[in-house]
Amino acid sequence: MQADRISRERKAPDGNGDFGQALLDASLPSPDGVIGPDGKPAPKRFNVYRNNVIVSLIEALGDTFVAVRRLLGDGYFGALAREYIVHHPPTSPVLIWYGKSFPNFMAGFPPLQAYPYIADVGRLEWAWLQSYHAADAEPLDPAVLGDVAPDAVGQVRIERHPAARLISSPWPIYSLIQANRFAPDDPPAVDMQEGQDVLVARPEIEVDLLCLPPGGAAFLEALFDGAALEDAAGRALTAAPEFQLPVCLQTALSAGVFSALVPDNGQGHLSAKDDATRGAL
Amino acid sequence: MKNKAMSAALVAGAVATAVAGLSVTTPAHAQAKEKCYGISLKGKNDCKAGPGTTCAGSSTVDYQGNAWTLVPKGDCVKFGTAGGDFALPDGRQGSLTELDRDLPQA
Amino acid sequence: MAAPLPSSNRIHHTVPARAGAGLKGEHIPLILDELPDVGFFEVHAENYMGDGGAPHRALEAVREQYPLSLHGVGLSIGGENPLDRDHLMRLKVLNERYEPGLFSEHLAWSTHDTIYFNDLLPVPYDAETLQRVCDHIDDVQDVIGRQMLLENPSTYVAFERSTMGEIEFLTEIVRKTGCGLLLDVNNVYVSCTNHRQDPIDYLAAFPMDKVGEIHLGGHAPDEDDEGRPLLIDAHDREVDVAVWALYESVIGRCGAFPTLVEWDNDVPAWPVLYSQVQAADTILTQAVPADLKHAS
Repeated sequence: MQADRISRERKAPDGNGDFGQALLDASLPSPDGVIGPDGKPAPKRFNVYRNNVIVSLIEALGDTFVAVRRLLGDGYFGALAREYIVHHPPTSPVLIWYGKSFPNFMAGFPPLQAYPYIADVGRLEWAWLQSYHAADAEPLDPAVLGDVAPDAVGQVRIERHPAARLISSPWPIYSLIQANRFAPDDPPAVDMQEGQDVLVARPEIEVDLLCLPPGGAAFLEALFDGAALEDAAGRALTAAPEFQLPVCLQTALSAGVFSALVPDNGQGHLSAKDDATRGAL
Repeated sequence: MKNKAMSAALVAGAVATAVAGLSVTTPAHAQAKEKCYGISLKGKNDCKAGPGTTCAGSSTVDYQGNAWTLVPKGDCVKFGTAGGDFALPDGRQGSLTELDRDLPQA
Repeated sequence: MAAPLPSSNRIHHTVPARAGAGLKGEHIPLILDELPDVGFFEVHAENYMGDGGAPHRALEAVREQYPLSLHGVGLSIGGENPLDRDHLMRLKVLNERYEPGLFSEHLAWSTHDTIYFNDLLPVPYDAETLQRVCDHIDDVQDVIGRQMLLENPSTYVAFERSTMGEIEFLTEIVRKTGCGLLLDVNNVYVSCTNHRQDPIDYLAAFPMDKVGEIHLGGHAPDEDDEGRPLLIDAHDREVDVAVWALYESVIGRCGAFPTLVEWDNDVPAWPVLYSQVQAADTILTQAVPADLKHAS
């Protein structure tokens, strides 16, 4: 802070830099040259701007992290958000993009160590927001996958729908977000011994959250990373021997988390059968 | 760890099963378009001013200093404390006592 | 499915000299259902800068039925840094997609050295700042390819280094850049009260021939360092009676302008906001016939 104050004095008075620094650091005096109608310094007037900045950003974070705010209570959330804001202020004027690093900030915040699931609930809320604002796209028609020849379908790669996200947690984040945000009047039971893998999808306008069965997260993560269907299934089996490919694939297809088959340049999966079927459609 | 493999025939069979199961039902994403105009999130950018001269933004005492003395008071307490419904796995337990720790530095 | 509508489907390209409302997400289903008689809707551009989804779907539907005004809140035209090119491009894209009849921004700054402060922060009124603001407005109008309106701010502090008054500053900007002005009558009342000036004098000196839109909104009372009244531009309640009176005198003197009622905090049910819009419309319709009566 001492170094900052020295540099303050060197800069032109009442520049944006001084003004901005004092907005985020309430221990600094109001900037030089900022006055009231009598020409005197007006710290209380300057506080109007401090309040505008901090309180509006607390509100913006609270609108994004609804369940986190409810889990922590408004008082704690406001204080936590304020710490985050002064250390990680927004870098874009588009506030729907503010708060990406808030879950990690919570994960590393010593006073929250007794509540280790909070950060993962925050990650799920961030994923929900990204899905809500993601580009529109038509989900993959399952019939397109059904049209691929059986001997080629294992090598198919499938593109993730722009609004699809996957959040895995050792904590019951689906139950927690339902209880504290989407279904507060009819909350599911929360079993803190249970980890949950949550699929976030928005085939049209409304964001859906789905809990995945064992192996489902490994399977979809592999597919979203560009693995072929057969490899993704193998990774899912490795992660969870009870993995059921038909169930998971059906869940993912009906949730609309794919947008298209990845075109294959070689002797690809779009076989003669596919072409023939397409002609008939 | 070596990945387990799934045979091409099994994969093809699974795809056929999954797709067949879907083709008879209406796709889940065929939502009624009319109800889609509700915006469930309010806009975050606006040009209003905040709460005047006295409030959190200008406070230097409430949460500052070198100790964080708040405890969560929301639903979290119900889920995550020793006095609540359960104990956290791997031996950790939530605590309702105030935590006097230094705040993280940016 | 969410591709921009062809412009031929839109009949309203210009915003009429009637009252409009700030568009709030919670009101949209009702607005589309009942299609209330409102002159236009205005949105904050930054809330529609996501890629897709519900906000764009809703705004497309509203745009099909009503004229639109696009109001930026984050470009930082008064800032010391150059304008954010990405943000400018986002504004351009929104202008092209929604074809708003009006496009406006603020005489204020909000970004410095990559930090966005999410407030409309004040600028000193001196030659250096004037030049910078003019350069930025030239930049905006070049990139977006249309005239913008610049809004007079609500301010709570002044700067020792200011060498001119706000109206002189705004008038110079208009002369140098060819931009128009958005006259926020509530901001006039708030700033004049806060700086102990007379809002009637302010409005008498305002270059009304450059005004393309008027804003009305509610403010909250507070106190300054000396315990004297300090008004906060909170947009959290009905328009104040004093602001209605100023508005009525401006309209009576200068004729009708597109007029927006803003309500951004503690947003009420639609009928409450709509009654404010209707009150403004009543004042506007009483003013307009002054010319029309003559003509007919």
